[in-house]
Amino acid sequence: MRFGMSRVTGAALAILFLFPLVWSAWASVRTPSGFGLANYQRLFTSDNGIRFEHVANSLAVSAMTVGGTLLVATLGGYAFGRFHFPGKNILFLLTLAILMVPYATILIALYVLLGWIGLQDSLIGLSLVLIMFQLPFSIFMMRNAFEAIPNELEESAQIDGCGSIATLVRVLLPAVRPGLVTVSLFAFLTSWGEFFAPLILLNSTDKFTMMLAVVNMRTATFGAIDYPALEAGVTFMAIPCLILFVVLQRSYVRGFMSGALRG
Amino acid sequence: MTMLATRAVEAEAVTPRRRSRRRKQLIGALYAAPTAFVVGLFFLVPLGLVAWMSLHRWPLLGPPSMNVPDNYTALSDDKLLSTALWFTLKYTVLVTVLLFVISFGLALIVQHRFRGVAILRTAFFLPAAVGFASASLLFLGLLSSEIGPFGSKLPSVSSSPTAALSSAVGLVLWRFAGFNMLILLTGLQAIPTEVYEAARLDGASWWQTFRSITLPLMRTTIALVLTLMVSGSLLAFDQFWILTRGGPDNSTTSLVMVIYRKAFIELDLGSAAAVSVLLLVLLLIVSVVQLRVLRRRS
Amino acid sequence: MKRWLGGLAAVTLLVGAAACGGNDDESAGSASADSGATLTLWTRAATESISKAYAAAYNASHKNQVQVTAYPNEEYPAKIASAAGAKALPDLFASDVVFAPQYASQGLWLDITDQFQALPVKDKVAPAHVRNGTWQNRNYAVPHTIDMSVMLYNKDLFKKAGLDPEKPPTNLKEFAADARAVDKLGGDINGTYFGGNCGGCNVFTLWPSVWAAGGDVMNAEGTESTINSKEMSDVFALYKQLFDEGVAAPASKDEAGPTWLGALQNGKIGIAPGPSAWLGLIEEKSSFKLGVAPISGPDGGESTFVGGDAIGIGATSKNAKAAWDFLSWTLGDEAQIEVVAKNKGVPVRTDLATNKYSQSDPRVVEINELMAKGKTPYAKNFNATYNDPQSPWVTAFRGALFGPDPKKSLDDGAAALTASLQK
Repeated sequence: MRFGMSRVTGAALAILFLFPLVWSAWASVRTPSGFGLANYQRLFTSDNGIRFEHVANSLAVSAMTVGGTLLVATLGGYAFGRFHFPGKNILFLLTLAILMVPYATILIALYVLLGWIGLQDSLIGLSLVLIMFQLPFSIFMMRNAFEAIPNELEESAQIDGCGSIATLVRVLLPAVRPGLVTVSLFAFLTSWGEFFAPLILLNSTDKFTMMLAVVNMRTATFGAIDYPALEAGVTFMAIPCLILFVVLQRSYVRGFMSGALRG
Repeated sequence: MTMLATRAVEAEAVTPRRRSRRRKQLIGALYAAPTAFVVGLFFLVPLGLVAWMSLHRWPLLGPPSMNVPDNYTALSDDKLLSTALWFTLKYTVLVTVLLFVISFGLALIVQHRFRGVAILRTAFFLPAAVGFASASLLFLGLLSSEIGPFGSKLPSVSSSPTAALSSAVGLVLWRFAGFNMLILLTGLQAIPTEVYEAARLDGASWWQTFRSITLPLMRTTIALVLTLMVSGSLLAFDQFWILTRGGPDNSTTSLVMVIYRKAFIELDLGSAAAVSVLLLVLLLIVSVVQLRVLRRRS
Repeated sequence: MKRWLGGLAAVTLLVGAAACGGNDDESAGSASADSGATLTLWTRAATESISKAYAAAYNASHKNQVQVTAYPNEEYPAKIASAAGAKALPDLFASDVVFAPQYASQGLWLDITDQFQALPVKDKVAPAHVRNGTWQNRNYAVPHTIDMSVMLYNKDLFKKAGLDPEKPPTNLKEFAADARAVDKLGGDINGTYFGGNCGGCNVFTLWPSVWAAGGDVMNAEGTESTINSKEMSDVFALYKQLFDEGVAAPASKDEAGPTWLGALQNGKIGIAPGPSAWLGLIEEKSSFKLGVAPISGPDGGESTFVGGDAIGIGATSKNAKAAWDFLSWTLGDEAQIEVVAKNKGVPVRTDLATNKYSQSDPRVVEINELMAKGKTPYAKNFNATYNDPQSPWVTAFRGALFGPDPKKSLDDGAAALTASLQK
């Protein structure tokens, strides 16, 4: 491609892509009389607004989802990437099939299921469901990351006397670190911004996550949307994600390179 | 430790080696156990329940009664369902084509190093940081005449089917183009530079190189991206639920919205489950066909 | 798994059936209804403030404690349905009163016939609401809040247009004439406004005109639609004309509900039907004087849509007795006057229409008295047929208001609505 032209197009597109984010931040501090934090004040103090416990719950759910996804996906990726065992392909395909299920119906079934195992209306139950929805991406990513490790690395560790767990922890994990960062990042993003699963799976106000409070701003009083407070909510929710995105950029770009490479 | 032992004494008889292979299989299965547990309990069991529900009249409370195949036969004369089916297919084609072209275009722009390329990559990828529900709410404000920067110059989201559809498509392109760009970029960068060098020496034009080298070598990456796009579009819900509410005049009602309506508005869980099963079958068929076609091309 | 589930469902059914004869067995352990139980109450965001006001007053004087959880309006039915599907309903839950027959017929609320019939004030409790909470002659829900449709008009704009601000229209033709007069003021002023893409809004604002003319939109059982009747067609024709002339704001066509209030608040609309509950909301944000009048028919008469929320005891509740204690308390004089009327709400009791708080605002008395002339439509599949954005009603009235062939839209619509009502 011609270089100069593609750069100009690229720059123009970049502005187009950044525009909604910048606008949202701008709109969130815009008040009838100029600029200020009045919209944020409404976001945090109105009847349906964000409370401290909502922030805490969102953090807890995100932490559990990231932790759980990392655990399952690392072990699973290791198994799929470096072992042969009966049922391997079937299990892998089933995991990917999670992508193909309509959310709306499976959530009722999940709600029933969580009731059976005593995890209804619990942040843990919600996290388990979110982990499940994260698995196709994470397992795929980690399998490819483990597959990409040269055999010699694993063998040298084994010759040094490491068992499979020690090999995994000491030698392989550092090698798949970009993949781990990527998986964690996306697990965080999903759990942080998820709306439908917490709406259906949580029952008590003190367990609500922030996203529920933000969506509530949309319908708080029937007949009028408080758009500025809504954009304040959107911006507030986006800030941690944007920061993580920029800070971790190097790792997840490498994660994608090592992970998504093979189909 | 056991593995070391088996590898170190490779010259030994066949039986221990087979045993060790079996042991290695067992270890692999153990590592896969958490995945199997989560997939089994939180995916297969609910999925089975959905399939089972689709065979019953399933009241919210009270005992279900088997009514095979009523839930499925009733779907054949459901007008909203057929509208939604056609819309969803149309939307899927539209989004897949646009999203693929744009993502690929972005990937081509940022594939080479030049000053500022990191900024461009970040800019394209950044929308993926915003949760999809958040992004939908963001666009709700952005496109509203009340607060949006375009004021009333822009037709309102639900003023016409075209306006509603373009709003939703615009949102999806903005939110997902960067993500797909990154996946495609990994594919692009995996192609050894020597291949391009050789093509250049042969005097191939940019387009010839792209067609006969880049595309074929990226087959698997493209297959992955297309599968993600197609299944994502067939399951589209949030963008319509928050932005267009399926309107105007049901013109943007997707299949998942029909499931939602049957389950939560009509309280007819059996029929909702039947539509889900239908959609699942559709997705499986599309994915299998897609992978077959892409494989055959090679 | 299937047997497990079937068994679970059967048990629930048995419990439900046992509860039909009164809930005495269930809470036999507790001697008193006010024994310090914690009661969960679910409500939609639109009703949250009143539910919380009830709960705060009740909690202050009782050992039982009511905890209110509000959900977004649009997603609230999904929340109820999934909780019911998992047998995990709260002790109490409110719903839009028009959805009450559906929930009652599905058995989501406990049968409270015996308790309700024993109430001394039972005949004074908003009869239309009570009927909507009834299924096969058993009571399942009682009124929680009441919201009625009325004509809201901007007295300042009336004056500017040379109309008498103290003489609101008494029939729809006068309404149209007044709207046209205000519209002539020009600029960004419009004569009227309606929710042209909102099923619930039009049910609420247009049907009273049909009732005022002596017509109806459904048969009494709520199983057959008559929206192609002369009365309904006339009302649509009138609004269609106002829209075609540009008297109704162009934004009316796309109004799906979320910005309806905002449109009336900004003082650019002459006269429009809307919820009585907005009286306070509009005045608190705007500088103009607001007039209130009953909604009339094409040639006079007046009626209103008695909307709002109904509330019942969740079918899976283990605190039925305490929950009823709360419900019966909300219907009492103290709650209705000191909680509802004090906050400018409409009391759910017909005998309390005039009370010490309503006296201060004659418009409130007028609204309260309107209740007796109004109706609450009854249909089991109300939500799917009328309120939902994908409902056949929305398709039908958009055809009648904006389409090329209103008659065909209404005829086809009536058939589609009937099919949906009978599902």
